[in-house]
Amino acid sequence: MEILLFGIIGVVVLFSVIALNALILVYMERKVSAWMQSRLGPNRVGPFGLFQTTADIVKLILKENIRNDQSDKVIYFLAPILAFVAPFAAFVTVPIANTIGIRDLDMGAVYIFALGSSVIFSIIWAGYGSNSRYALIGAMRSAAQMVSYEVPMITAVLGVFLIAGSLSMREIVTMQANQTWFIVYQPLGFILFLIAGTAEANRAPFDLPEAESELVAGFHTEYTGLKFAFFFLGEYAAMLVSCCLIVLLFLGGWLVPFVDNSIIPAWIHITVFMIKVYLMIFLMMWFRWTFPRMRVDHLMGFGWKVLLPLAFINLVATGAVVLILK
Amino acid sequence: MAVSVKNITVPRGKNWVDNTYIIPVIKGLIITLRHMFKKPIVLYYPENKKVLPPNYRGLHMLTRDEQGREKCVACEMCSTACPADCIRIVANDSGDVWKDNFENREKHPIVFEIDELRCIFCGMCVEACPEDAIDMTDMHNLADYTRQDFIYDKERLLGVYDEYIKRHPDHAKRRDGEFKAMKNSSYFSVVSVENAKKPGGH
Amino acid sequence: MSHDTQIKKEPSNLSSKQFRTDSPLIDQIPGRKRQILRESPESELKMEEFLLNVGPQHPSTHGVLRLVVALEGEVIKRCDPDLGYLHRTFEKISESRSYQQIVPFTDRMDYLGSMNANWGVAVAVEKLAKIEVPERAEYLRVIVSELNRIASHLMWMGAFGADIGAVTAFLYGFRERELILDMFEEICGSRLTYGYIRVGGVAEDITPKFDKLVREFLDILPAKLEDYHNLITGNPIFLERTRGVGAITLEEAISYGVTGPMLKACGMPWDLRKEEPYSVYPKFDFDIPVYYNGDCFDRFRVRMDEMVESAKIVIQALDGLPEGDYKVKKLARNIKPPVGDVYVRQEAPRGEYGVYMESDGSTKPNRVKYRTPSFSNLSILPLMTVGWKIADLVAILGSVDIVLGDVDR
Repeated sequence: MEILLFGIIGVVVLFSVIALNALILVYMERKVSAWMQSRLGPNRVGPFGLFQTTADIVKLILKENIRNDQSDKVIYFLAPILAFVAPFAAFVTVPIANTIGIRDLDMGAVYIFALGSSVIFSIIWAGYGSNSRYALIGAMRSAAQMVSYEVPMITAVLGVFLIAGSLSMREIVTMQANQTWFIVYQPLGFILFLIAGTAEANRAPFDLPEAESELVAGFHTEYTGLKFAFFFLGEYAAMLVSCCLIVLLFLGGWLVPFVDNSIIPAWIHITVFMIKVYLMIFLMMWFRWTFPRMRVDHLMGFGWKVLLPLAFINLVATGAVVLILK
Repeated sequence: MAVSVKNITVPRGKNWVDNTYIIPVIKGLIITLRHMFKKPIVLYYPENKKVLPPNYRGLHMLTRDEQGREKCVACEMCSTACPADCIRIVANDSGDVWKDNFENREKHPIVFEIDELRCIFCGMCVEACPEDAIDMTDMHNLADYTRQDFIYDKERLLGVYDEYIKRHPDHAKRRDGEFKAMKNSSYFSVVSVENAKKPGGH
Repeated sequence: MSHDTQIKKEPSNLSSKQFRTDSPLIDQIPGRKRQILRESPESELKMEEFLLNVGPQHPSTHGVLRLVVALEGEVIKRCDPDLGYLHRTFEKISESRSYQQIVPFTDRMDYLGSMNANWGVAVAVEKLAKIEVPERAEYLRVIVSELNRIASHLMWMGAFGADIGAVTAFLYGFRERELILDMFEEICGSRLTYGYIRVGGVAEDITPKFDKLVREFLDILPAKLEDYHNLITGNPIFLERTRGVGAITLEEAISYGVTGPMLKACGMPWDLRKEEPYSVYPKFDFDIPVYYNGDCFDRFRVRMDEMVESAKIVIQALDGLPEGDYKVKKLARNIKPPVGDVYVRQEAPRGEYGVYMESDGSTKPNRVKYRTPSFSNLSILPLMTVGWKIADLVAILGSVDIVLGDVDR
């Protein structure tokens, strides 16, 4: 009974935290992109435009729910749900501070990557179930892209797991104490994971699936209203998961450098963690608004022919070093 | 043919660093980052409006002379010059009753209608008018509800004049070359309509 | 509030029911049935082409252009443009307007380079009616026309960047274009459809503020172009997207009637300002950028370099502006040129813009034909896109630089 109650409270808290973050991210993206383009972002709704995302979500909720007659009912309905639920569920093993996290699994990393891969399902369901040509093309491209970037992503991170000797997120962060953040040991791994993580989150320059100028809107062409809102927020939640992973694995998680971390209260840890995550998110947004989009075959070529060999080299080198040092 | 031709070929990268393109990528990133810290070129629109030049081609107006009558003598040169056929004039040139009020004028328009939806805002009516009677203001926010509301008749066009002349009292000298040379030479001259408060903030 | 709206379609009798089939319109066009690519005799499986309708409403076909694209996977097998969505019968309208009244209509054909469009018609009428234009008017025409070329290329660069995916370039291009539009607003009162170049000269004279704005703009232009080159041209993703893509040979380009920056990118230094100099162009010193590969990247570079050359022309014209009238003094309200016909061609930002005008002695022309550059440049699109992918279709279409007002008139 208590477990059920705690479970429900946990779910509500988690959902509200992630939803709030996603809202902030949408606002941040619009503001950052505007500043990079010599203009202002939203500045009318609320002070400094802070309520813009709320207004957007309310608008999307109030929209008419149009559905193709020939679309597949079940799949069309499930796709946006999975797109939002998968990153949200991945947050269960993401610890924000030393003692704050919902549940720290021994194989936390495997769990997160598995859920990251399941986003592919939602894209394929959306594309196929929409019964529209544009959606189908978008879905095919996206499935190919995500599958082919999963492999370098995981291979690049294996070096970290070799060094840390564990898959649990909390242990990996604790091992990065004394300023030995893993980015120092694994710079190549960091770069590869950053690039592959951007591809996994369908962000530019790899945002082919939702390439607005080419395929109207890619796999979510046929979605309006609340379903579109789920895809929209799901994309930002996936980006959030990617960045949280990068921070946890390479940038020391919640640890503050040059200070003894056991005497620091939890809220400073949380703040440091969020600052680092938002810095990485800013980096991803910066990339989006500077670079053009890659074409599908270049993307696949880049993933398989450039990233994957480098990831293997990284892994072998790390393994050799670890073996020698043991 | 004596043509000067520039032949440019793309140089290949000289070493492997060039071929990874890492430096152009970083240059591109720095440009967007620099723009983040520059001042945005945004005009806070309804609070601050840009001052439009006197020859801006917006809504039409019929000008009045010193006695408050319209200057138009219904010569129909504007409606002949209009490429879109949007001006309709019905002239009145008879009657002694007009000679008392309108000395030196044989004709004046009874009906003067401009269909602003057909108008292409080319300004040829303004050029054609020999009396400086029709002119174009700087009003470009012309939203309305029905198509009928867009047919501006004489009274409405004179009303536009009354409104316009309050904001630009020296517009009577529009055709004067000196006025054109007097225009202030600042780049983005802004006149605040009300107290120019910015909404929200940067 | 939110109810499910179901869109019903009548069942089609074509083969696969799972995907929507095309409108019957496509089948009415001769030779455009869906081809069967592979057929396996054992089962009922047929691999047909995948017809994608890059429809009239699309974020990146610059205007209402419909392309019916036959795909095999991602590779384009055929691409047929379907025109006419913006046809406004300008040639027919011109037959019922007097010669001076045609000028505002030509604004709306190539609405991004409307100074050049006005100039073509004005020169045609002047040749028919043998009107001499004063020199100051010629200089002013050159100035505004070259500024319009810069504005058009900036807008093109923005749209091309947005098509490729670098949305920031779009905003930067528009920011510079706003400066030029402010200049035009200063002299003629309008920002897009100017009607400034009239028969017999220009509509109004310039002011000192215009002079100042132009010089300020030309001061900052080289730095901005440097920014664009650093942001876009050097970017490896952009280079991969555009280098080699949509390449055409010189013979193909000439045989399809392609002109303008597309021809310069194929290796031919053909510019009507140098070949058949009109107006006061012989007095100015400028170059013509020529590249040899004929692909999207070279077209991009031609247009960026053309902006620099136009800036050179403008500064020379502004420095050497003579005093005088800005239009012919006593011009009749209704010109009645003698019977005859004339073909005038000029270098618009998109290519060769030609006006054929035939007069039968009355106040209205008998026939006006506009040879618009985008129409001829678009005709090579089916040849250029075969074998490339969908993403390349957008890049190629962007690099052709069409304006639908020009294509459909």
